[in-house]
Amino acid sequence: MSAPATSIKGRAFGDRVLLALVILLSIIMIAPVLWVIGLSLKENAELMANPNSVFHAPYTLKNYINTIGTSSVFRWVLNSIVVSGGLTLATLILSSLAGYGFARLNFPGRNILFVIVLFGLAVPEQAVLVARHQIFSMLKFHNTYHGLILPGLSASFGVFLMTQYFRAIPKELDEAAMLDNAGRFKIFWKVLLPLTVPAQATLGIFTFLGAWNDYFWPLISATKKDMFTLTVGMASTQTNFAQSEGIGFLMAQAVFAGAPILIIYLFFQKYIVTAVSGAAVR
Amino acid sequence: MADQLTIRETAAPAVGVRVPSANIYAPQWRNFVFVAPFLFFFTTLLIFPLFWGMWLSVHKADTFSTGRFVGLDNYVRLFHDKVFLQSVWNTFYFVLLTVPTLALIGLFLALCLNRRTRTAAVLRTLFFSSSVLSVTIVTLIWRIVYIPNVGLLSTIYGWFGATAPAFISDPSLAMIGIAIATIWWCIGLPMMLFLSALQQIPQDIYEAAALDNANRWQTLRSITLPSIKRTFILVIIIQIVLQFQLFGQAWLMTRGGPNNLTKPIVLYIYDTAFRRWDLGMGAAASEMLFVLILIAAMAQYLVTRNKGDQA
Amino acid sequence: MTANIEIRNVSKQFGAMTVLDDLSLSIKAREFIVFLGPSGCGKSTLLRMIAGLETVDGGEIAINGERIDHLPPGKRGIAMVFQSYALYPHMTVRDNMAFGLDNIGVARDVIDARIAEAARILEMPHLLERKPGQLSGGQRQRVAIGRAIVKEPKAFLFDEPLSNLDAALRTRTRIELAQLHQRLQSTMIFVTHDQVEAMTLADRIVVMNNRRIEQIGSPMEIYERPATKFVAGFVGAPAMNFVDVAIDRSGDVITVTFADSTVIPTDIASNQVVDGAHTFGVRAEDVRIAPTGQGNVDGKVDVLERLGERTLVYTRLSDGQIIVASDAGNSRVAVGDTVGLAFDGRKSHLFNETGRAWHARRA
Repeated sequence: MSAPATSIKGRAFGDRVLLALVILLSIIMIAPVLWVIGLSLKENAELMANPNSVFHAPYTLKNYINTIGTSSVFRWVLNSIVVSGGLTLATLILSSLAGYGFARLNFPGRNILFVIVLFGLAVPEQAVLVARHQIFSMLKFHNTYHGLILPGLSASFGVFLMTQYFRAIPKELDEAAMLDNAGRFKIFWKVLLPLTVPAQATLGIFTFLGAWNDYFWPLISATKKDMFTLTVGMASTQTNFAQSEGIGFLMAQAVFAGAPILIIYLFFQKYIVTAVSGAAVR
Repeated sequence: MADQLTIRETAAPAVGVRVPSANIYAPQWRNFVFVAPFLFFFTTLLIFPLFWGMWLSVHKADTFSTGRFVGLDNYVRLFHDKVFLQSVWNTFYFVLLTVPTLALIGLFLALCLNRRTRTAAVLRTLFFSSSVLSVTIVTLIWRIVYIPNVGLLSTIYGWFGATAPAFISDPSLAMIGIAIATIWWCIGLPMMLFLSALQQIPQDIYEAAALDNANRWQTLRSITLPSIKRTFILVIIIQIVLQFQLFGQAWLMTRGGPNNLTKPIVLYIYDTAFRRWDLGMGAAASEMLFVLILIAAMAQYLVTRNKGDQA
Repeated sequence: MTANIEIRNVSKQFGAMTVLDDLSLSIKAREFIVFLGPSGCGKSTLLRMIAGLETVDGGEIAINGERIDHLPPGKRGIAMVFQSYALYPHMTVRDNMAFGLDNIGVARDVIDARIAEAARILEMPHLLERKPGQLSGGQRQRVAIGRAIVKEPKAFLFDEPLSNLDAALRTRTRIELAQLHQRLQSTMIFVTHDQVEAMTLADRIVVMNNRRIEQIGSPMEIYERPATKFVAGFVGAPAMNFVDVAIDRSGDVITVTFADSTVIPTDIASNQVVDGAHTFGVRAEDVRIAPTGQGNVDGKVDVLERLGERTLVYTRLSDGQIIVASDAGNSRVAVGDTVGLAFDGRKSHLFNETGRAWHARRA
């Protein structure tokens, strides 16, 4: 009779160890963020004198006011919205059309083309970056919105996702629509596309997030301050970091840039997780 | 709306006349219209630059002009460049630091948080939340953690009267510092992949194990872990591909220093191609990276293909 | 609107496999035709070929004398009800029915009138603004039929439309379909593997097996005078009893002899029957239970199936041959009893090894 009792006790002890570990990891996740928020609410002079001053008043919103007062930040946010929004919209259109085409229509060379598109999933951005940069230089695409948007349109992931999604819709729906005298485009537009809304949401959020957070291409393509995206712009203000004169200010910027994305994440969590895991597993 | 199925509107053929049967799935060129817009961008912005890059890598080139053919010269120079070799080593070192840690912590979190409680859901949200931040914000956060004087680390060490390790400036710690920030940033994905694998294990196996009096450790070892073996390999490969492309963290936290010790391959490409404008050699370096990543991607393809039990 | 349908020498291949082989069939206007057969016999493929969803690899199909095999599905003037119903999930019931009419430019008021009429016939005016997801299986079925009715097609095609319904609803819908046919006086083709559906609905049944048509006939013809051994075995529950026999055709009518030497006189005319190996066939209801020794042969009762209005008695003859007999609902027979089996020679059948059938002369 005593054996089960000890094992339950052992189980409770084990549970506590695991719980402690998870709590520790949670603290590691959250502490840096809280620290950043804390610093963003402090006067710089006070911080320099004593870092522990983070833990007590006075707090100030001065850093945020300064951040918002910096006209560049708004420009960068606008750039990011235009680039991410434009890329997302274009990706949804291209991927839906191509996904329907590959999943439902037959045309010469379809299968080999689809394999080539799948192969595109394996090509890392870095393999084409140098050439792409040179081509864009020749076309004078750098420091323009289309220069920032266009490279993202070549990504295969959306086509892959939409093809899979269209394939999962029963073919009888197409056939019923054909008997109802609908043409190819009408079947796509009126019958199938409305059924792909969950996939559109997943792909849309994934694309938007990826574009919003992209760093490498904007870094080499947008070299004028006016054309910086938020990511690149934020990075450019960090150069004077070592002097640590404006730590509170930098932190306010970080919060200002990170909070909207985190809020979007909280709202669309389900889609984001699906999208990111889907993109990884393919 | 032009109906593409209205093939011909001629009078019905007479009895016995052989006419092609209506075939709604026949290959038709006009169906190509749906995939053409994507294929245009795919070809011009991915396939063409891919070959252009290969071409560049055997030429001497700068931004606006491509010079003469130099054969494998760029590659030869590359392998004689100590900085490049260092960056290859750095990249492997970084992958070695991050990938196993990400996989193990991710698995641990998934095992702990695979429950239907509210707390578990909140914690899952928390551990994934850092993944949605941009590299700029993540590096900003971690520089402020590591920075001497006002940094979180030095503040905590200060409470115990100790000096925090200099994760950015100490040559032996700099890469570890970047790795920690990266793990913090990327832990969400492996956790989620493991969670979805765990949720696909049929519940009745566990019920059968419970009837067989298996304890928790035995259940974990003989049921759970074997069931997610494939996912484990997949997570490892995905992370290798992702972490091979390290750039932002290193560039923003250390600029590759001290002494090129944290300079990864991508940063080397960036330096060579976009700061020294030696596009030929930059292209050669990116071809090398491409080959490395392609090997990992092939492995991933093989693993995903051989699944059998999943759709 | 109604139409006759002519199928001439049609064949179909999937890759190297032939699924339909030189098949011909005339369907009269206003006829309710059922394609009956086991799964994989090609009955659904034939229906889809009429609809234009599969290519016609050989032969031709005509409606009212006009070739249609070259026309796309929408131009053939037919409507189809799918097994899965294939309703557009994001459209209301009304929009589901209006879609096809909209596409060919039917005026709005005509569409509304037709939808109202269809909804009245199918007793679902209250469902018009709902979406398919909010409907029960039976209601979806009605919508699928309604979507076909509003098109006023030359012919209705049904692809196993009842198989997703539960047993009670299936029976009810079956009766409603029969009423609908009465009312619309339209040509209907109905595919099923369920012989009860076929028997109850069809004007004529087309029994299909293994790429071919086995028999075309009214339900009672199919049941009483099956053209082949396959049809005899496939139609009717329980399946017809088959016994390998030796025949004696010295008389006016055939006498058959079982392996255990049981001799049974039949009413099958001798002059038609050709030589070869023969199988004797008789349905359970034509085998009566008699007191031991007073039938044609004795059997030991293995299993009893009490169906209420009758009892099926599974008996084993001395040589192991199983014979199913039918007895009254309140049969006193018990498992293990030895009973006599009396065969009704006037309702017996004879088949040879090619499947060809001979039947007793009609009484």
